Amino acid sequence: MTAAPLLELDAVRIRHLGAERPTPDGVSLDIRPGEVVLLLGPSGCGKSTLALALDGLVPHAIAADLDGSVRVDGRDSREHSVAELSETVAMVFQDPDAQVVTGSLLDEVAFGPENRLVPVDEVLARSERALKLVGLWDRRYDSPDVLSGGGRQRLAIASALALDAPVLVLDEPTANLDPAGIDEVYAVLRELANEREHAIVLVEHNLDSAVDIVDRVVVLDAAGRLVIDGPVRDVLQGRAGELLELGVWLPVSTLAALRLRSAGVAIDPLPLTPSELAAALDAISELPAPVADAPDALVATASPAITVRDLSVQLGGRRGPVVVDGVDLDVASGDFLAIVGTNGAGKTTLLQAIAGVIPAPRGSVDVLGMDPSRADARDRARRIGFVFQNPEHQFVADTVAGELELSLRLQGVEESARRDEVDRMLRRFGLEQHRQRHPFLLSGGEKRRLSVGTALVAGAPVLALDEPTFGQDRARASELLAMLRDLNDEGTTVLVVTHDLQLVADYADRVAVMQEGRLLGVGPTAEVLGGPLIEAAGLRHPPLARATRSLARHPEWHSVARMSQLPSPGGAAA
Amino acid sequence: MTAATTGTHPVSSDVTTTGDGIAAPHRPFLHRLNPIAKLAAPLPVMIALLFTRDVATPLVFTVGALALLLVGARLSRRAIAGLLIGTPVGVALIGFTLGVWVDPARIDPAAAGASVVLIEIGDWRFTLAAYLVGMATALRIAAILLLSLLVGLTTTGPELVRASVQNLRMPYRVGFTALAALRFVPRFRHELDVIRAAHRVRGMHRGRGPVAALRRIVSYAIPLLASAIRHAERVALAMDARAFGAHPTRTERVISRWRARDTAFVVLFWAASVAVFWVVATA
Repeated sequence: MTAAPLLELDAVRIRHLGAERPTPDGVSLDIRPGEVVLLLGPSGCGKSTLALALDGLVPHAIAADLDGSVRVDGRDSREHSVAELSETVAMVFQDPDAQVVTGSLLDEVAFGPENRLVPVDEVLARSERALKLVGLWDRRYDSPDVLSGGGRQRLAIASALALDAPVLVLDEPTANLDPAGIDEVYAVLRELANEREHAIVLVEHNLDSAVDIVDRVVVLDAAGRLVIDGPVRDVLQGRAGELLELGVWLPVSTLAALRLRSAGVAIDPLPLTPSELAAALDAISELPAPVADAPDALVATASPAITVRDLSVQLGGRRGPVVVDGVDLDVASGDFLAIVGTNGAGKTTLLQAIAGVIPAPRGSVDVLGMDPSRADARDRARRIGFVFQNPEHQFVADTVAGELELSLRLQGVEESARRDEVDRMLRRFGLEQHRQRHPFLLSGGEKRRLSVGTALVAGAPVLALDEPTFGQDRARASELLAMLRDLNDEGTTVLVVTHDLQLVADYADRVAVMQEGRLLGVGPTAEVLGGPLIEAAGLRHPPLARATRSLARHPEWHSVARMSQLPSPGGAAA
Repeated sequence: MTAATTGTHPVSSDVTTTGDGIAAPHRPFLHRLNPIAKLAAPLPVMIALLFTRDVATPLVFTVGALALLLVGARLSRRAIAGLLIGTPVGVALIGFTLGVWVDPARIDPAAAGASVVLIEIGDWRFTLAAYLVGMATALRIAAILLLSLLVGLTTTGPELVRASVQNLRMPYRVGFTALAALRFVPRFRHELDVIRAAHRVRGMHRGRGPVAALRRIVSYAIPLLASAIRHAERVALAMDARAFGAHPTRTERVISRWRARDTAFVVLFWAASVAVFWVVATA
């Protein structure tokens, strides 16, 4: 650790054009060769902005004021161009689609060094090295378009490596990926971290994947001030309570252990990974019994809201692929059903066919007595609301209130009744003060709430959501799921397609597992997540289930997959 | 998962020779020409064709361009069938349709075929002269299309950009920005589909006629533009971070050469074209 720092930040404050306060606000830290640093903080604390300042994109390419100084290999970032600083710092961004410039993998990786006038032989040698490291050398003549999300993100890492810079900065590199893609990217990052040839700065909210490759954690608070900087174990184990108070998400295994601790189970030190949690639990001779996962009694007796019979959907005409293949599914009124599966398993198509977004064969889908592909938009809106992945796609009015009113007008509701109903929905979704704003100017969370509001305002008792947590951090994702939980408690039937199995574990009542267009099975959440279906579908168990499944001494814990099954403070203490 | 093989191979020779993985020797000749040559040769002809009125000139160029494509371009069987069947069928259909719409008053009564009536319905007569005018127009369209395919079917986007930068001294920033922009197209097409579905779900597809259609287009444009601007900003940041625009030139891994055969192709093409125009004019 005696080497000169590659990055020196001194009292860095960055104020975006038009922002009231700077985030980050006064951050000082050094990054040395070979270090793997995780940058944490609640939403809006400026961690991504800080990442952009490390290679000069702030202030050169982004309209923001930079106070203090960022020295990159001894050079002040203000006085050197991004291109010069790219000799020292290479970046990987969140969106894999927005980093591709050329038409083949080889051209893509060569793009950076070519811009820097590196000689041809050296460009090729670097490209080969980088593509081999990420496992894409054999596909070097392919178009980036044919790669999966995880593949494209590995390509982005290779393109950064080809710059031959000693520092690699990754800004939420897995936020847009499915679990398989996340694993691919972390396999590459683990290899890079082990080689110790690069200093790595990682902004990541998915701590479960990141925690075992980082050495050091730097934490910003909500105001963007640096509050904690230390070795990963000291910070995550020693100051877990502080982190929770700051609004920073901890690894699921750590959260589970904290909950067990408060129920009187002595776990010390805190585990960071599922295997550590499993080892800690197996070291304890007697554990309190897990809380039984009581199925919702109301749901069990309720009438079905949705009946799907032998549903097959073919996309793109008669020659197109069969995306959903002979699915039978019943969803009871008041159910909270999650549909899971790998990319291309047909989850979204199934959900869209149920909601009438795409046509389904006559008689194969019934939603509260309606065949969605025969009904018109007005009848559909009264029975089932559909929320798209990107809320902006669904906005059609100039104001927030207008969005809600428009749905009511479609139903032919009287004007006075419309006004009352709009007021009620604005209050229900916490949007009263934004009534006259343009929907596009809302924050991400507010946009999402509005899109759910527009789907429900016509009185639909069923809500269908397509990957509503995509690209969001865990705090936002759980905020959304908690809102869905509330709606569900109020009686709304909720169907959700998602990749995040831990969120599924913690919120859904039942889980449907799909693979290659077929429905492998449906059942209560704990049963499905504890059983063989998840692996059969090519998925990986969520972190808590991974820990409890491998327990040797406590077989009664094998089906524990959700936090609510852990003994709570009020319950039986060990 | 891969590093085991790193460093055991020298840099593959296939990469250094062509850079795009296609072995150079056995490609048909149009593929081996410089894209600028394939652009420069037919361009004056395409412009000149706009001013012709006869049937023979565009017919010769249509057949000639077809022949060049069949001999000099690597085409799939479907493309060959499309060219050989589609061209005459298309010309016949468009020619007939355009001929029907020709204003009879504008046809010189002395012209050949003006008195030959092909179809007669009541007062309306479809004369051979009108048919020939339609055919000439259809053949002009066909000839211009096929001539543009000489470069279109035998050149990739990157090849054209490379040649424009290296042989025409176009700034590489323009070329690469154009390439990056081309990559946006399929993404936006997909996004537009999603937006349309989302608006349909909101019950927004109602109403017919041009006013409703215009309002629909505006309502699609807002989310599409918002996301396009965001996407473009992200791509720009990613390009900046990889030193795009750092120097006036870039390393060129593949050299786009202007060879004697390119000059020969252009000169022969022009000479043959002048001959065609001259022969038809004097015949």
